[in-house]
Amino acid sequence: MDLAIETNGLTKRFGDVLALDQVNLRVGRGEIYGFLGLNGAGKTTTIRALLGMIHPGRGEVRVLGQPVGPHGRGPWQKVGHLVESPSAYPELTVSENLELARRLQGIRDRKVVKEIIERLALGPYALRKAGTLSTGNLQRLGLARALLHGPELLILDEPANGLDPAGVIEIRELLRKLARERGVTIFMSSHILTEVDRLATRIGIIHKGRLIEELDADQLERSRSKRLAVRARCPKDALLCLQSAGYRSTVQDETILIEDERAIEHPDEVARILVKGGTPPMRLAVEQQDLEEHFMHLTGGTK
Amino acid sequence: MTAFASALWAEGLKMIRSRVPLLCAVGFCMAPLAGGLFMIILKDPQAARSMGLISTKAQIMAGTADWPAFFNLLAQAVAAGGMILFAIITIWVFGREFSDRTLKELLALPTSREKIVGAKFIVIVLWSLAVTLLVFGLGLIVGTLVVIPGWSTDLARTAFLDMLGTAVLTIPLMTFVALLSSAGRGYLPPFGWTILTLVLANIAAIMGWGDWFPWAIPGLFSGAAGPRSAQLGPHSYLIVILTGLAGLAATFYWWRDADQAR
Repeated sequence: MDLAIETNGLTKRFGDVLALDQVNLRVGRGEIYGFLGLNGAGKTTTIRALLGMIHPGRGEVRVLGQPVGPHGRGPWQKVGHLVESPSAYPELTVSENLELARRLQGIRDRKVVKEIIERLALGPYALRKAGTLSTGNLQRLGLARALLHGPELLILDEPANGLDPAGVIEIRELLRKLARERGVTIFMSSHILTEVDRLATRIGIIHKGRLIEELDADQLERSRSKRLAVRARCPKDALLCLQSAGYRSTVQDETILIEDERAIEHPDEVARILVKGGTPPMRLAVEQQDLEEHFMHLTGGTK
Repeated sequence: MTAFASALWAEGLKMIRSRVPLLCAVGFCMAPLAGGLFMIILKDPQAARSMGLISTKAQIMAGTADWPAFFNLLAQAVAAGGMILFAIITIWVFGREFSDRTLKELLALPTSREKIVGAKFIVIVLWSLAVTLLVFGLGLIVGTLVVIPGWSTDLARTAFLDMLGTAVLTIPLMTFVALLSSAGRGYLPPFGWTILTLVLANIAAIMGWGDWFPWAIPGLFSGAAGPRSAQLGPHSYLIVILTGLAGLAATFYWWRDADQAR
């Protein structure tokens, strides 16, 4: 597999705290990799190690086939990044901040600044000082800076932070388009699990500095448990009816949950039994465990 | 445009757009204006006596109302004021990347960290020298306007070289301020360091071994503590150069190799 990101035994310790423990990441080119973890799990430390901002205690990091470091060296002309909260020089305008980034990226074409301003809908703010921007627009400026040089790899830490719902959808579509049309690899951490769920083609879950699971979106789809949720006017009678028909059922918040594969594949049969038993269903739906539940289950959360 | 020219352009733009360097320059220009005021006071002893404290202060600071005294006053202002104002500008150039959380935008770029640090130092040197020239130029205008005796072209040339020399000896010491701004990740540690070195420089000068203490040397060079030749030797200049190089190397090393985990 042609890898955009590869870490082997990546380990980092800050004093007594083991921030990363033998992390072996594999991100293929063109993938959208969702990197999940609780606060303090090691997401940002991993991202900083990928960008050569911290030195691994042990292990190695390769980005776009090139080793990262020593001395912060890496293929940075092909990598765009957004680390933690967005930041910009407050006394410079949005245009000036991007012009500064253009020069430091070594891009000769002056038009790229105007183009990225239009693409990220920053036109109305182009001449506004960055210090006066809202968090959402500052995040857009950070994304614009990350995308300015048309990178092959985007490393984004919480890219949806501070954006309003329309902005979240817009950025999601932009990232999806970049991956689909230009083959850009996207490595993104997020605490908005639904975002990752909708966008990522591959997901990694880090917990207490260890990469505890890595799976494809298809695998996640398959591994998610399904159940049939039934609501009836009298749940007690409906439950008795279903149990007598041989379905393993439980009641939770007035909803009957059936995990029987038979029921999931043939909900019409369940409906027929309930109607025949005199307790017709008011609602019948096949539900699937979402990424949030899967994540909480893995990390020992309570959901 | 080369990567280094780009880094220099970026640092220049940040400097021009910010109010901090401009305010520092305005603050530094107070020295020739205050010197001019002292000269006016000293020129008219009758009026000076009626002005009480400020007259006494003027006599202590300048002594007589003439060009040699005025230039001496400016050189001392560059020595003492330069140590603080050059430090403020250094603290701003390096420390603002931490307080504005913009450092992370400078670490993974095709323009290397060494070039960015180099550009920062060049901007600091250029700004410090420009402000010194501004103080001297303003001094010439103020001195001419208040009409004081003792002018000669030779005196002006010597005074200019003394002032420039004082600034040139102060600038290398700023490398440690840059290091403290970086390693201290903000404004307070380097500011504390600047105050500490000023206090120690005074103590070193009073104890009589200021010629061995780098932070006391610009003050001694300016003539603030008596004739320069009697106190300073080649070792003094060498110490300033070595101190500057040590700070420079440590700052480069820190930017290149330290973990940037915050």
